[in-house]
Amino acid sequence: MRFKLRNAFASCALTFGFLPMVFTSSLHADWPQFRGPNAGSISLESKLPTKFGGESKANVAWQTKLPGRSVGGAIVIGDQVITTSSSGMDQRRLHLISVNDKDGSIRWQQEFVARGRTNCHPTSAIAAPTPASDGKYVYAFYSSNDLACVDLDGNLIWYRSLSTDFPKAGNDVGMSSSPIVVDGVCIVQVECQGDSFAAGVSCEDGSILWRMDRPKQANWASPVVIKLPSGEQVVVMQSSQDLLAVAPKTGKTVWTMDVKCSSIPSAMAAESRLFVPAAGLTVFDLSSVGAVPSKLWDNNKLAANACSPLVVGKRVYTISRTVLASADLFSGELKWQARLPDAKSIWASPVVAGNNLYIFTEDGKCFVVNLGDEKGEVVETNDLGESVLGSPAISGNAMYVRGVSSIWKIAEK
Amino acid sequence: MFAKQDIHSSIAKLKQTALALFIGLGMGVTLHAETSTELIKQLQSLQPNDASNQTATKTIKQLNAANDVTVIQSLTAMKGATPLGRNWLLGLANSLYRKSGKSQTAELSTFLSDVSQDGEARYIAFQWLTANNAELRKKLLDGMKQDPSPELRYLAISEAVAAKPDTPELLSLLDSARHAQQVVSIIGVLKEKGTVVDQVKQFGLLTQWKLIGPFDNVGTVNFDKVFPVEADWMNGKVKDEYESKLVVDGKNVNAKWINESAKSEDGTIDLAAIYSNEKGCIVYAATEFDSEKEQDAELRLGCINGNKTWLNGKLVMSNEVYHTDMKIDQYIETVRLKAGKNQILVKLSQNEQKEQWAQRFAFQLRVSDSTGKAILAKGR
Repeated sequence: MRFKLRNAFASCALTFGFLPMVFTSSLHADWPQFRGPNAGSISLESKLPTKFGGESKANVAWQTKLPGRSVGGAIVIGDQVITTSSSGMDQRRLHLISVNDKDGSIRWQQEFVARGRTNCHPTSAIAAPTPASDGKYVYAFYSSNDLACVDLDGNLIWYRSLSTDFPKAGNDVGMSSSPIVVDGVCIVQVECQGDSFAAGVSCEDGSILWRMDRPKQANWASPVVIKLPSGEQVVVMQSSQDLLAVAPKTGKTVWTMDVKCSSIPSAMAAESRLFVPAAGLTVFDLSSVGAVPSKLWDNNKLAANACSPLVVGKRVYTISRTVLASADLFSGELKWQARLPDAKSIWASPVVAGNNLYIFTEDGKCFVVNLGDEKGEVVETNDLGESVLGSPAISGNAMYVRGVSSIWKIAEK
Repeated sequence: MFAKQDIHSSIAKLKQTALALFIGLGMGVTLHAETSTELIKQLQSLQPNDASNQTATKTIKQLNAANDVTVIQSLTAMKGATPLGRNWLLGLANSLYRKSGKSQTAELSTFLSDVSQDGEARYIAFQWLTANNAELRKKLLDGMKQDPSPELRYLAISEAVAAKPDTPELLSLLDSARHAQQVVSIIGVLKEKGTVVDQVKQFGLLTQWKLIGPFDNVGTVNFDKVFPVEADWMNGKVKDEYESKLVVDGKNVNAKWINESAKSEDGTIDLAAIYSNEKGCIVYAATEFDSEKEQDAELRLGCINGNKTWLNGKLVMSNEVYHTDMKIDQYIETVRLKAGKNQILVKLSQNEQKEQWAQRFAFQLRVSDSTGKAILAKGR
């Protein structure tokens, strides 16, 4: 049914010459990029089990071992779950793999060889960014700055080595900014101490449509698409020195602000507000037409070290180390905090299904937290037994978790 | 109503058209075969620019649709292709392999055994052949410990080391190993077994240096400044001392050359220890490499600070990067050594970051061949 629906969209695109951007949080929707539709990390209608994994592998529909390692997340397009890996000597083999949603079998694989630097921290991987898709093609980006575009059958459409174009682009801790796709442009943020830049790459042929210099500081945050009151979509990028919005097709700056943002957690937009990990959490008003967004509030008690913020209802949530915080969306007032018991490092941005928050730790545990008005209650602690550093994907009543060396489908059995 | 000659004329034209179509179609078949070969050639020579990318996008579309291109043809074309071209051809080969039903075992075996083929292409042939055949994988890797493909050799040695061999076998594997981390790993295993290997010599790390500094780099603004010592070194006339950033008892103190030897087994020169954790500074390190002959080589630098390296007065690498990582073979550049004494100068730039993890000021340098095997200086 889902597949037919997507084909209908494809027909629509062929007929009218455009690709519909139907990224909603509805059931069975695609999860086309890092943090899913609108980078919201949320699928309210989805019903996920709270208890899964463990020795019995409860509610594990399937687990598929994949080559090498990955710290990025998976995406879901139709009945395909798509993820990246890096393997072999120096992790220089770059894999792009499609797994059948139905049974976890491998549908197709593509493979390239890294042409950029493959140094990274031992806990990271060259397969660190989450791929992105516009429903027609899949765009895979790697820490080595190799960028590949394939169709939904895995056929190569184009490939680009941004490290060949810009040889000093790289970071020996590893890069991890995920690409986004909007208006026929794949946008990458490659910020480091060497050739530091952002670029818009043509989805059709890999041409570089625009390139802009960025601060020469390491940055792992990902760009995000927001919609202005005018209906125009712009790309917001953050760094330790600035916060700016650019037009996706031209790279022309729409507005820029002198805001010192965090370099790991990424911004997101909801309720006509932009939530930026800066000075804890800083929130800007996106409702004014043609204006530089004005600051609504900030709260240094809502700092996030790695996970991106997310919004559910009238609350915004952040994670600092192992403490989950809930604050009022409109005022920034801290409502409650919850310490996650015995939690190790948390790198994966959490996701929400229903009213439960799923927080994965580096050692493979998953805290399921019921989000109440007065408190956050850990209703279950699960264990996959595999390190998880990538943000999960949700589609329908299933969650897809990219472990370092395998991918899991979690769904009620 | 048509006149008779008109009908004859029309029939003649139809015959001509049919003949032209027939010839055209025939030529089309031939042209198609030629075109596929030509298309593959286009991918082989890809350059990093938009025009080349746009051409390649059209080319790969035609090749994906063609029915006369084989997996082996695509893999074979990787030999001699540019690094970009190899990835396009690898992408094509992956699609072709999937479409072929993954059934070309004999052809892939022959291709893999031909060590003159491109190493990256042979590696994926190995992956395909052994994906579901552990026995074949082990058998093939047993014979690949000296394979010309760095990736296959690395894999073969990794598997052999994992099998916990005895000391003679480990020493043999060490001789074959080229990947720096793998060499360190084998030396570590040998040490546990009681056999100590001179790691510095194994890698060809340069241990004897003359250092001078610290010079001013406050604000990290002097990475590209040519300090007098640098200018003099290029002219082959260095002085014993130069004005430095050091102030002792309220007076400026000149920097003097000092001799320093690497003391650790990874050949690291610890500038932070030598220069009392000075921040915002530049230090120069100079050494000689006495080459047996004129030869191609690689300078392999590990450094956690900004760095520039000159060989015989020519700048060969420059990396203005601070505190991301330091490991052996971090930066590699191909050079041509002259016979006899080669002059090496390294400029090391420390910034002023205050974080605990940003205090190191250190480097290591070695000389190797293109595979990573040490080239030792004359008499070493």
